[in-house]
Amino acid sequence: MTVPIQAEALDISFKLLPAIIVFLMMASFLIIGFVFKVADTEGMWVAGRGIGNIENGMAIGANWMSAASYLGLAGLVALAGFYGLAFIVGWTTGYFVLLIFLAAQMRRFGKYTAPDFVADRFNSPMARALAAFTTLLIAYVYSVGQARGMGLVGQYVFGLDIIPMIVVMMTITVGYLALSGMLGATKNMAVQYVILIVAFLAGVYVVGFSQGYSTVLPQIEYGALFSELGRQFSEPFIGGNSYYLWVATAFSLIVGTCGLPHVLVRFYTVESERTARWSTVWGLFFILLLYWAAPAMAAFGVDLFAAVNGISSDAVFSGEQAMSGAEGDVIVVLAAQFAELPTWFVGLVAAGAMAAAIATTAGLFITASSAVAHDIYAELINPDATQRQQVLIGRATIVGIGALVTVTAFNPPALIGELVAYAFSLAGVVLFPMFFLGLWWENTNRQGALAGMTVGLLLWFTSIINSVLPAYVGFLADVAGGSGQALVPIYAQYVPPIGAALVGTPLVFLVTIGVSMATPEPPLETKRMVRQCHSPEPMGQQQSAENIVSDSGGDAPADD
Amino acid sequence: MYSDILIPTDGSETAKAAVDHAVDHAQRYGARLHALYVVDIDAVNFGLGTEQVDRIRQGKFGEMTELKERAEAATGVVADAAAEHDVEVREEIRAGTPHDVIADYADDEGIDLIVMGSHGRTGVRRALLGSVTERTLRSTHVPVLVVDYLDED
Repeated sequence: MTVPIQAEALDISFKLLPAIIVFLMMASFLIIGFVFKVADTEGMWVAGRGIGNIENGMAIGANWMSAASYLGLAGLVALAGFYGLAFIVGWTTGYFVLLIFLAAQMRRFGKYTAPDFVADRFNSPMARALAAFTTLLIAYVYSVGQARGMGLVGQYVFGLDIIPMIVVMMTITVGYLALSGMLGATKNMAVQYVILIVAFLAGVYVVGFSQGYSTVLPQIEYGALFSELGRQFSEPFIGGNSYYLWVATAFSLIVGTCGLPHVLVRFYTVESERTARWSTVWGLFFILLLYWAAPAMAAFGVDLFAAVNGISSDAVFSGEQAMSGAEGDVIVVLAAQFAELPTWFVGLVAAGAMAAAIATTAGLFITASSAVAHDIYAELINPDATQRQQVLIGRATIVGIGALVTVTAFNPPALIGELVAYAFSLAGVVLFPMFFLGLWWENTNRQGALAGMTVGLLLWFTSIINSVLPAYVGFLADVAGGSGQALVPIYAQYVPPIGAALVGTPLVFLVTIGVSMATPEPPLETKRMVRQCHSPEPMGQQQSAENIVSDSGGDAPADD
Repeated sequence: MYSDILIPTDGSETAKAAVDHAVDHAQRYGARLHALYVVDIDAVNFGLGTEQVDRIRQGKFGEMTELKERAEAATGVVADAAAEHDVEVREEIRAGTPHDVIADYADDEGIDLIVMGSHGRTGVRRALLGSVTERTLRSTHVPVLVVDYLDED
């Protein structure tokens, strides 16, 4: 293993004030969860209040912005400069595709989970199983990045070694889910968003101001540092970060965003299509507040890293004193520490990272538990499952995946941002084509969907086995001729795990369309459901596509 | 003695075991029967996702068709049995934590007898799956008639 596991430059020791801040933050999440759980049992049945655009937008933002956005993004920009921009571009552009092509249509289809949509649209339990499996896999890969982020940042506050720190933070997260059950979810997400954005922006402004980098607009002023920051920032596509990889990564992240089950679920439940659209606009705005500032934080961090270690900025990227992967991952906290800000302030920045990681992990784990408890257990294994059994299976899933993620995070294969990008590739290759074709081409049928998903899964697995696993599995490394090598270099070059969707997604589209055309068309009822999702008439609040189809007897409008 | 009898049901065999007893009591005392299905919020959360809890909170249970059908089927079993014996019946669907909702419903609607099935689990299975009946006993002052369901297998 070449990736050092701890951030050497980080001041790892127990600090009282930051610990109190983190403790108060965690306690407030639990209290909010508990208060809303109590309120639920009393007033839920009569309450008819919708969740507003702004609150929903904040929930989208918090659910979305993980340790990967809070820490990983700045870390990638800090370590890889221009290449890191692919992440900012990909993670925001995806929302436009979602907004234009999927959000309102998904809302009209009106299902519960992503595998529910796939199963009902393609009339296939097998499709449900594949979608549920993919959902689980995404949650797992994605959460490893979060666990690592929580562990690294927790070290600054509590001073434990990385492994016990990851164990502690994941135990808290799983315990939080079990206790509050996420029931105050939307409220908690709004609170988590406020904490993380305040912490991050405060960090950028104070570091920029105190070090004389910037005054009112660090998001733009950091540009003045470019000439000093070494070539990674001013000259794109040098070293291993080729133009192809940049495009592949950005494309993967765009389609991945639209295929992530925990992002899509928010759109199944909004008040109306109009709310769906406006929530997305607000959500995007809240996300951009962080993304505009992340490159500035990365630039400040790199410059401070060079200054503190007394090296030139080029030496930050290569040579003996270069920034390690782990240091890059905590660059946001490091920058605040290097700027010699008070520990409570650095602690606040660290707490923001934890809020981001917990919000996203909670969302991911709940998607995973529903994939198992609802889609696999109740729909496929035991149709007579009682509600209590589903709760039990769901809780067991959360504990199980929590343990698996914790162990994997001890020695993860890549940077936080890259790990998360693997999950995006998977979502973009397997699920996005199903959602998109399922909603926009009524002739997509079961055979096409099954063939498409299988090809997508195979492509993703071979890419991971080819490029990532040789670093871990001895005999694969021998075959590849070195632990950093890929088994088939040409495959690794064109289908890198991080950008597998550039080749994968069009291929899955072609396979799905080809097989659908070669096999019988789907039943008329399914086609009507698809048409209804594009009806120009606003749908009443009590209706979903299936209801309208069964009520109207067939003359559903076919335009959008 | 009894004018309003509550039979909570989740549609399981265990719950159905109590139906005959409830209907018989209702007929004997000329009481009204309340068939209550509780949508377990924890089950919605872990099974369908937190967003679906938001959906119920927004008062949109009506558009969650599968869930609603399941609930109506469960109370329907009670309603059919009651109709056979000319017993007046009221079907109700609510959401929350089952034993709390049952206890609250009993208070609000002036229930004077609750009839419930129980699966008589012991040991680990009881610790894991718990018993709604047991918890209801502890959270209400209304008399509870527990009918044990003995699995034939």
